[in-house]
Amino acid sequence: MLDVSDLVTAYGKIEALKGVSLHVESEKITCLLGPNGAGKTTLMMTIAGILQPRRGSIRLGGTELVGLSPARIVARGVALVPENRLVFPQMSVLENLLAGAYQRSDKAEINVDVERMYTRFPHLRERHQQLAGTLSGGEQQMLAVARALMSRPRVLLMDEPSLGLAPLVVAEIFSIISELNRDGTTIFLVEQNAHMALQVAHQFFLMEQGRITFKGTPGQLAEDEVIQRAYLGTRRTAG
Amino acid sequence: MVDFFQNTIDGVMIGSSYGLLALGFTVIFGVMRRLNLSYGPSIMIGGYLGTVLYLNHGAGPLVVAGAVVLGAAIAGVYVERLCFAPMKAGAGIASMVSSFAIWMQLEQAAILVLPRHTYPFPPLATGATLEFGPFFVRIDHLIMLVCALGLAAAVQVTLYRTRFGLALRAIIGHPVAAHLVGINVRRAMLLAFAAASAIGGVAGFLVLAVDQQVTPMFGMWATLKGLIAMMIGGLGSVPGAVVGGLLLGVIETHSQWYFGPQFRDLIAYVVLFAFLVARPGGLFGRAPSPDITTPQKA
Repeated sequence: MLDVSDLVTAYGKIEALKGVSLHVESEKITCLLGPNGAGKTTLMMTIAGILQPRRGSIRLGGTELVGLSPARIVARGVALVPENRLVFPQMSVLENLLAGAYQRSDKAEINVDVERMYTRFPHLRERHQQLAGTLSGGEQQMLAVARALMSRPRVLLMDEPSLGLAPLVVAEIFSIISELNRDGTTIFLVEQNAHMALQVAHQFFLMEQGRITFKGTPGQLAEDEVIQRAYLGTRRTAG
Repeated sequence: MVDFFQNTIDGVMIGSSYGLLALGFTVIFGVMRRLNLSYGPSIMIGGYLGTVLYLNHGAGPLVVAGAVVLGAAIAGVYVERLCFAPMKAGAGIASMVSSFAIWMQLEQAAILVLPRHTYPFPPLATGATLEFGPFFVRIDHLIMLVCALGLAAAVQVTLYRTRFGLALRAIIGHPVAAHLVGINVRRAMLLAFAAASAIGGVAGFLVLAVDQQVTPMFGMWATLKGLIAMMIGGLGSVPGAVVGGLLLGVIETHSQWYFGPQFRDLIAYVVLFAFLVARPGGLFGRAPSPDITTPQKA
């Protein structure tokens, strides 16, 4: 579904992605694990078109995404739930959802989807007129997911959806991720919480210092080792 | 007592032109968090275009009004392309300083095209007045007030009831997130800039029609009055822009009446100073929020 090959993204002279290749399979949950600074968020921002890669390609189905504006990429069917959620704080919950459907013009269908989001996330229905900035962290994360879904994406990218949330809320978020996937959504997930991620993922990649260092299915690698490498990395460790 | 009320009425009328100027400023500042010093000079360019059509082709008030608005919008787009669109995120100062440079450029261009200092501008309703008991109101002033209130309402409705307004408010909230939901941020900003300059053009036309003359200094005057009114009213607040403008007008007329014309601007600046110290967000505004970002080239 989503094919990334030999992707290089740099901040000035520093290459944050040093030739990343990976494949996200249709209707599966693919997970990307790695320590801080490995380049996971850079990869997400590059796929979404916020950052321009120096070279490499990103293909969705058969379409090249590199060089397209973020708006075009959303229209092609890629939606990112960004790190730290980034809901529009001064807009109501409903307005946030409508903004998520900005690329669409089918008004009746948009309203159907808003209703669907309210059914899936009942908290959002209760608070639909409240300003998004006044929601709790967990509710903001639900809103960010719902907002991304409003564009009817073919692939849903999620960058650290569990960041800064209480354990119970994290469990809820992950059950929603599984649920979305059961309904047919392709998900590409970046996580620090390796334990939770490995429970839902069909396949996963490890990323260290801008490179993919492992590709496989959960169970192929002992969770201990995944966790060690995901948090600490293996390269250039002391000793 | 009659004098006091007549002065207040005059202040409100004159203030409505400040409110209109502040309204355009607010659209730019509210959306981009950027200070466009070339805002007034863009309007002045529109004014010159109107005058040229009036002098050379005997254009009527409606055609002149259209020319001023269109000229201001085009000059505004020119400023945006040159000073704002190419600037990286967080380079607000660079935008402001380059807009200052373009201010000088626009002023010199106007002097090159029409080298005399003052040119006549067609009046809208030559000194005609309405009487309300002991009070007088000039008709062209009344048109100004109606335009200020009407345009402020239109801007407010656009911001809160339309798809374009939703996009602008999303950009104010989180520019990166606005990109991520598929909003064409650059185009929305350009449109906002053109609209803001067009609103300034309306203000420019009405003020010039009251003055019946245009000079290259009009640009500086418009930037200053708009800026002061916006800062008193509240950064990024639409009702604030109008209220700030009206308040500035009333303060100016009373200062002039009680202390003489040489004190008029002095007192206006003292009031601005007091607001900046005591209430930097203005009457209705929020304190300035973090900078806007645009897609970065890696």
